[in-house]
Amino acid sequence: MNALLQWLDKRLSFSQRHGNFLERKIPDGLNYSYCLGGIAFTFFIFLVISGLLLSLYYIPHERAAYQSIVTINEEMILGRIVRGIHKWSASLFIIFTILHSLRVFITRSYLPPRDLNWMTGALTMIFSMASGFTGYLLPWDQKAFWATEVGTSIFKTIPFIGEDIVILIRGGQDISGTTLTRFYAIHVLYLPLIIGLLLWGHFHMVKRLGIAKRL
Amino acid sequence: MKKEKRFYPDYLSEIIFVVILCLEALLFLILFFPPQLGREIDFTRQYLPRPEWYFNWIFELLKYFPGEFTIFGAIIIPLFFALVVVFIPFLDKRIGLFWTRILAFSLLVVFIILTISGMV
Repeated sequence: MNALLQWLDKRLSFSQRHGNFLERKIPDGLNYSYCLGGIAFTFFIFLVISGLLLSLYYIPHERAAYQSIVTINEEMILGRIVRGIHKWSASLFIIFTILHSLRVFITRSYLPPRDLNWMTGALTMIFSMASGFTGYLLPWDQKAFWATEVGTSIFKTIPFIGEDIVILIRGGQDISGTTLTRFYAIHVLYLPLIIGLLLWGHFHMVKRLGIAKRL
Repeated sequence: MKKEKRFYPDYLSEIIFVVILCLEALLFLILFFPPQLGREIDFTRQYLPRPEWYFNWIFELLKYFPGEFTIFGAIIIPLFFALVVVFIPFLDKRIGLFWTRILAFSLLVVFIILTISGMV
């Protein structure tokens, strides 16, 4: 094991780059409220893993989507559990990002130079909600369809360009198979990529700037 | 003197403990509240869906702005919430800690009340 690590280290030199990260001291006076962000990230990891598993069986097509979810639920080994993990992790992820941001807000840890870090976190929250919105359509059942119908028509209220925005989001006048493909792509490609980059920046800054001293 | 804590192994072991706890909580929730799948789409049978709980506040907000004022509940107020949250550090600089807290906590109270109000 050690030999393998050294072999890898010679080629990737990670101990030089990340050694300090593992060795670093943690400031005094931290309590368990400093765990909240880590818990949120834990649920993010659960979301990625369960999402990757679901994507093996889910079919993003208007005539097959619903049936593929039924198959995952009824026939796949642990299918129902994996779907449950994805569904519940999403809610818990949102809850813990809110709690984490409350902790940061109360301890006033968002002050410069951590202001950019706060913004990446806030944007992560907004993009996660977009992820929840696009994911809601994917089961392609009654609830999904009509919720998206209501949710997307909200943008019609924007003057002048509202109608065009709705067409852009739906991929047409009405919600159809095109909308399903579009939401699927946004849910599994665009948003995970964006959120992944934001989180990378978020952790990079935590690593560089350290944990803020308590007030 | 207290022993100095380091990330490895002190905090890493605590982190692993919390991760396992999260997984257990998750499995507990799935066992008692399994994910539901609704009926197959019926384009002719419209029904009023509830959004995910974290969109419920916007859904409730819409009820207060009927007709031509819908844009306030649908776009302007949610956008205001989002902008305040994103620019908290700059607000603190501009209007000070006190007013930032007043603003942020009143938005939080509105969010919580609207989130709960649809559920009960």
